[in-house]
Amino acid sequence: MTKLAIGLVAITLPLAAAAQVESYNIDPIHTIPYWETDHLGYATMRGHFNKISGKFTIDRAAKTGTLEITIQTASLNTGDTDREARSRTRDEHLRSPDFFNVAEFPTMTYRATSVKFADDSPDVIEGNLTLLGVTRPVSLKIERWRCGPDPRTAGKRYQCGGNATGLFKRSDFGMKFGLPTAIGDEVKLWMSFYGFRK
Amino acid sequence: MQVGVAPLVAALVVAFFVALLLRPLQLGGLAVAAAFLATMYFVSGVAFSPLTATRKIIIVSIAAPVVGILIDFAFKPTRIGAVVLALCAAAGALWVFWPVLAQKPAAEGWLLGASTVVVISFMVGFSQRYLAADAVRAGAAGLGLGLATGVAAILSASATYGLYGIALGAGAGGFLLPQMITGKKSFAGATFTLSAIFIGGLVAAGTMVLAKLPWYALLVLGLVPVGARLPAPGKAPVWLQAVLLSLYCFVIGAAACALAWAQGRNFDLGFMSLQL
Repeated sequence: MTKLAIGLVAITLPLAAAAQVESYNIDPIHTIPYWETDHLGYATMRGHFNKISGKFTIDRAAKTGTLEITIQTASLNTGDTDREARSRTRDEHLRSPDFFNVAEFPTMTYRATSVKFADDSPDVIEGNLTLLGVTRPVSLKIERWRCGPDPRTAGKRYQCGGNATGLFKRSDFGMKFGLPTAIGDEVKLWMSFYGFRK
Repeated sequence: MQVGVAPLVAALVVAFFVALLLRPLQLGGLAVAAAFLATMYFVSGVAFSPLTATRKIIIVSIAAPVVGILIDFAFKPTRIGAVVLALCAAAGALWVFWPVLAQKPAAEGWLLGASTVVVISFMVGFSQRYLAADAVRAGAAGLGLGLATGVAAILSASATYGLYGIALGAGAGGFLLPQMITGKKSFAGATFTLSAIFIGGLVAAGTMVLAKLPWYALLVLGLVPVGARLPAPGKAPVWLQAVLLSLYCFVIGAAACALAWAQGRNFDLGFMSLQL
């Protein structure tokens, strides 16, 4: 009887551990990566990407996780979409080879390499950002994190959401147009995100 | 520094002195390559990884004058030679842009690819056959194509390609200037044709594939070298020939720029509405 109990525990332990890894799909509607950078030394320009997809996992017991995000670079938006009398909009310029070169690099990706926890919540994500075909390490700080039933589905769907921030130099990725004075090198990221548990 | 006039001043100065110094060796065509590479150094720096279409253009811009010198020294200019050069240029253009074209929807990819191949092969073949033997006509074609491509690129949302195009124009200007000052024609040959016309075609095609230049504006840009073949008084001073032929090219180039500016706009013609 004792052997049987030990055997059952031995079989179910890995399953229980596996069950603690929760998988989530990124909510593309409410996950919005914003960025901001200096413009001419006078003001801060902001923009965001409209199309994003991805997934993440979290293992609260082991305090680990994974994250993969893909952003459609052509979906960038700084609010300047009407040419009026000009030859092109700011968004069109940002899509050109001067900046995001969306024809050649239609996506940018972020993949986590490690997730550090503070107490029971993810705190800092170390990962690699691939932009313009160049991959460089970029950290994301989780500034807000909460998981629970989605009130919009009367609790039938379980979700995690929050905010994350990051910082990188665009010149590290070969995006050098407008340096050093016209357009800032440092790019701040601010992202609201949601994930729905699978 | 990177987006100002400095790269263009550097291009013009380098081109002028290269053209002046190498003229006795019949290598004045290297002025265009020197101008382009000087601008490239200031604008984007020297890097070849990842190997983007723009960086492939830079590699081709380094190889083109070398190939041009070999052709000028090894072969006599013939009709067959011009055709072969045109086909090689088309193949080079496909090597540069194929990875980008392959990512586009099939119809768009074919349209842009066909426009690129037709325009570049025509420009290179035509220039080698009808302009390479006359340094003033070739210089005017290079000047017109470079400046028109640069302006069209800026209107098509890419200042980087705009600077590249204007640098080619400045290089061709640097090639023309000593001829206009001394009143003696220089030598163009394949060295100039490949450095100015082929690279100019690649920059123009890149503006179409990577930015917003419409394909029909590229076709018009492809006709710029034809302007340098129009009649000009053969006994007129070199400077006057250069000015006149450049003006012909500017007019065709201006038409391409107008199409680039008009792209995506609605025009109410009274009896109908036209969207370009």
